[in-house]
Amino acid sequence: MNNLVIGQFVPGSGILYRMDPRTKILMTIVYVFLLVFANSWVTYLWSAIFLVAALLLTKQGLGLYWRGIKPILWLILFTVVLQLLFSGGTPVLFQWGAIKVTEPGLINAIYVIVRFVLIVLMSTILTITTPPTAIASAIESLLKPLKAIKVPVAELALMLSIALRFVPLLMGETDKIMKAQKSRGMSLSTGSLMKRAKAVIPLLVPLFVGALQRALDLANAMEVRGFESAEGRTRYRELSYGRDDTLAFVAIAVFAIGFLALSFIK
Amino acid sequence: MTNAITIKNLNYSYPEQGELFKNFDFSVQEGEWLAIVGHNGSGKSTLAKLILGLLDFDQGEIQVFDEKLSEETLASIRAQVGMVFQNPDNQFVGATVADDVAFGLENRQVPSKEMPAKIEAALKQVGMEDYAEREPHTLSGGQKQRVALASILALHPRVIILDEATAMLDPEGKQAVMETLKELKARYQDQLTLIMITHDMEEAALADRVAVVSDGQLVFDEKPETLFLKGKQLAELGLAQPFSMELQSALGISQTTYRTKQELATWLSTLKA
Ligand SMILES: Nc1ncnc2c1ncn2[C@@H]1O[C@H](COP(=O)(O)OP(=O)(O)OP(=O)(O)O)[C@@H](O)[C@H]1O
Ligand SMILES: [Mg+2]
Repeated sequence: MNNLVIGQFVPGSGILYRMDPRTKILMTIVYVFLLVFANSWVTYLWSAIFLVAALLLTKQGLGLYWRGIKPILWLILFTVVLQLLFSGGTPVLFQWGAIKVTEPGLINAIYVIVRFVLIVLMSTILTITTPPTAIASAIESLLKPLKAIKVPVAELALMLSIALRFVPLLMGETDKIMKAQKSRGMSLSTGSLMKRAKAVIPLLVPLFVGALQRALDLANAMEVRGFESAEGRTRYRELSYGRDDTLAFVAIAVFAIGFLALSFIK
Repeated sequence: MTNAITIKNLNYSYPEQGELFKNFDFSVQEGEWLAIVGHNGSGKSTLAKLILGLLDFDQGEIQVFDEKLSEETLASIRAQVGMVFQNPDNQFVGATVADDVAFGLENRQVPSKEMPAKIEAALKQVGMEDYAEREPHTLSGGQKQRVALASILALHPRVIILDEATAMLDPEGKQAVMETLKELKARYQDQLTLIMITHDMEEAALADRVAVVSDGQLVFDEKPETLFLKGKQLAELGLAQPFSMELQSALGISQTTYRTKQELATWLSTLKA
């Protein structure tokens, strides 16, 4: 579980590391949004070029991204098989009993793979180059307008960053408890569904109790260090918009215009 | 000498439980290094939480320097008293070492521009300045506890309470935290009051004074040198003596003077000669 690359920050020095996290989040959103409308191989190619450019700007080895894709390969494969088997149309390329593969089906399947991979890689770029705290404060900053309608944006952002901070800890804990229960003969992978569901309970209870204790302890630690409310605190890591960000916006604008133009060429 | 902490006539019980503290009186002098020892469940952590206003007492009075603890003075008292807890993971708020030290500064609304210097200075005092950008899961327990100390030092406390801060650490981590405490005490002298809750008698031996609590009662309150001579009474309270004293009694040496490990070693070697 620990070699999951998506959602993980990997320190580095590329231009993308210096960019304001808000810019990166907006860029990712625009990119993913446009990709949903990609409808021809030129639009996919155009999107792929943009992605490769972003990849290079992170100055990280490609192996890192491969590791990001690997854990979801089976998911991609599954979607592809579905696409292949269940889209109709002609001409039929291959038939074996009730199973048939059509040309539109094949093309669709390839598009699905490409779209999937592009979206995953783009989000991976975001998380690899942006520490969780920066993502949390960027979200807070982007959602600031919602304060007007009484959404507790600062609290939500703090909750998010603390949750992110505790994910690795809870994952480690789950692993430990699972090993402990296994050594006592518990099995999550054999037996009837009922039996397995029952086996999960001795796993969840200590996990829940542990998490609750952590939460209480953390609340105390925060309080004695002067925490009163998420509102009205100063920030150690100030978000600052710089020249790189302007460049990034120009780049994404060029990408979007090119994308729209290419969508009309059919 | 002024009192850093004065507790008068304190009464406290957890909801639906018997009385834990009854008419409890206690004080800590400014600049003192105090150890509080006692068996599990004797009320040490509860006492620390009461001082920091994390629990509301039923009756009595807690005074920190010249302020009485109340709703109004709570923020000001917490600005003067810092606390390090037992579990290194459950008090690490920030995503990195620097962010964690920054957390308290952010709460106190220190301007962003002034933070890096303050963070660096605090980390230097605990020897963690090279780890500023590290994430907590890449640190050892002892390092995390030193970061916890730094995040308190950044706020310039006058009193630091450590509640079994070394209990979950390996011997090296313990050693590093204790060395850091000694350095801090040497550096700040009377400007810093240390209250160290511990089960480890070797640690308690470093204090100027040791308070022994049992079921919410103050049983002993004296210098470590005299306390450690009371082997039997300590054992009755479920407490051990420091290793050097246990060794002395195992060797059949009468326990009339307290000796540290080194002192015992030199003393034994003079005997041989
Ligand atoms: N949140 C709570 N609710 C109810 N009772 C509690 C709570 N916390 C502690 N107690 C009880 O209060 C008593 C004192 O607990 P406290 O944690 O202060 O002891 P301690 O001296 O710190 O022990 P240890 O050495 O194990 O840390 C114990 O009997 C304990 O069971
Ligand atoms: Mg305790």
